[in-house]
Amino acid sequence: MDTRPTFYQEITNMMYATHGDPISTCIQCGTCSGTCPVVEFMDHTPRDLIGMIRADLKDEVLASNTYWYCASCFHCNVRCPAHIDIADLMYTLKRYSIWKNQYPEGLIGPTFAETFVKMILSGGRSYEPVLAPAYIFNYGLQGFLNEALTATGLLLKGRIPVLPPRIKRLDNFRRMVGHIIPASNLVGEAK
Amino acid sequence: MATPKKLLIIDDDPDFVDGIKTILRKAQYEVDVAYNPKDGFKALETGQYDLLLLDIMMGRGAEGIMVARKMRKDTRLREIPVLIITGIREQIAFLFPGEQVHPRFVAVDELVEKPIEPTLLLEKVEALLKEAKVKKAKAT
Amino acid sequence: MKAYAYFPGCSLEKMALSYHQSALECARRLDLEFQELDDWNCCGTTAYFAIDQLLSYTLSARNLALAEKKKLDMVTPCAGCYKNAYFTNVTLKRDADLAEHINEALKEDDLHYAGTNQVYHLLEVFCNDVGVQEIKKRVTQSLNSLRVAPYYGCQIVRPRKDHEEVENPRYFEDLIAATGATPVEYQLKMRCCGGSLLITSRKAAFSMARNLLQNAMDNGAAVIATACPMCQVNLECYQQQINQEFGARFSVPILYFTQLLGLALGASPKELGFGSELVSASAVLAQIRNKETSTTQSPYIRHATS
Repeated sequence: MDTRPTFYQEITNMMYATHGDPISTCIQCGTCSGTCPVVEFMDHTPRDLIGMIRADLKDEVLASNTYWYCASCFHCNVRCPAHIDIADLMYTLKRYSIWKNQYPEGLIGPTFAETFVKMILSGGRSYEPVLAPAYIFNYGLQGFLNEALTATGLLLKGRIPVLPPRIKRLDNFRRMVGHIIPASNLVGEAK
Repeated sequence: MATPKKLLIIDDDPDFVDGIKTILRKAQYEVDVAYNPKDGFKALETGQYDLLLLDIMMGRGAEGIMVARKMRKDTRLREIPVLIITGIREQIAFLFPGEQVHPRFVAVDELVEKPIEPTLLLEKVEALLKEAKVKKAKAT
Repeated sequence: MKAYAYFPGCSLEKMALSYHQSALECARRLDLEFQELDDWNCCGTTAYFAIDQLLSYTLSARNLALAEKKKLDMVTPCAGCYKNAYFTNVTLKRDADLAEHINEALKEDDLHYAGTNQVYHLLEVFCNDVGVQEIKKRVTQSLNSLRVAPYYGCQIVRPRKDHEEVENPRYFEDLIAATGATPVEYQLKMRCCGGSLLITSRKAAFSMARNLLQNAMDNGAAVIATACPMCQVNLECYQQQINQEFGARFSVPILYFTQLLGLALGASPKELGFGSELVSASAVLAQIRNKETSTTQSPYIRHATS
């Protein structure tokens, strides 16, 4: 019971709760890659990636942008003849690389995910302007100007809130989250 | 030395497990490892362990906390001392830099941060085992 | 009057306010009672899932518990919220361990989720619970063959819920036909618009949105109807940037299906939140109005002139 797990087993271990050993049934048919609407932007197709995991190519998998480009559209999921939850695999890989603090530089995905979680914890609801700095930083001046034009348009149409929304029972909410994320600043007591 | 104490590690990080397993075995403990919480809980139920070393972030999130909570509800497993081991690499630190991990809502016996000094690890383990022994003696 | 627990989701508070307004207006006109959940929270959409699935389930579970407290099934207009709430519900019913863990956390807000209620997307409530035939009977203002492209997007139909048709569903088309509009047949109606990549991988998002807009236009769409705030923002608000990027000249109104349905049910554009579009819908409204002045007068005209 204490044989060191391979990379493939590590991923399987992370997915144990949802599906046991989900990728062992892959027949490498490529339906996922043929279905994926983002595949042209990925450095490895979903099929490749599954093959790479099974071959324990850890470094290559961690260097890949594939799972950060996954839009979670679940199109591959519903077509996979082996019924593999491929989107869940992509989430698992995101989580693995965040936990290992090992992801390709310049990827905005991890920063965004992090910002998003922090935002929800502060008010209980989502607030678009908080997310803005993440992409302004990433898309440069032209991107910023374009974004500002779109944002101004939305603002003029009254579609961007001025103040961050907050739920009423925020203290309860934060204590609730404290049961799930055991961080001392969430439980409302002095450190 | 009498019969060696039996320890269980539940942690999904093979590198970390390799490290502490070696330290603990050198100190004459008998060590088993489970690399996911499900196998871990099964092991707890079937094996007779004297102490559990438990990671927090596994699987879908802080599943270590789920394991600890379930243990505390189980009359047979309730008495096993739990040493939580958590690391800066993990999500809590990632989300709340500088914030201490604190499973305040679950009774665990001790908490240490990764990376852990071998001597400190052994001290904590020994202390917890001693404490459990005293408790048991009082109870009987 | 059938009642539902209504969970609008964060987008509908402001960014997609017109969806909120038109959803409620349609519900009212279809004799449905939508009781908004008290103090609901963010559903824990896809970005959460990347980091912490347990947290994501917990956030959705709180909303589900709020609905259960009302003893009502939950309806949500947002495709993302729907997917999260639906699968949290499924997962908690299947995984007793997880349910217990999350209920422990919900105690902090005096809540408990037993898993007795169902989760529906707004489109399902209208198409299945009310029914397309019933809606057809209630149309007072035919949309007169307006060419509407129904855009299903991802999360209403995927991943599969029960034995759902995931390759070529028809209920959205049927609903559009019931309003007197002509549903446009086009290949990419189920294809992802790239909305969830908008911030993380803009190039990919724009390219996906461009393909979709092009495909709908090529098949003669005058307007695209969506059932998701993310799709709406991606397809509408970024059309200018997409035009720049690809040298295209798109100017396609992207409306919520409830705005079109609302018009057909006799509501005024104002009641349905028209006027907040970045791509003007005035041509759409004019077309309905023009056709309709030649037939009979309608509540909509009365509103517009009063």
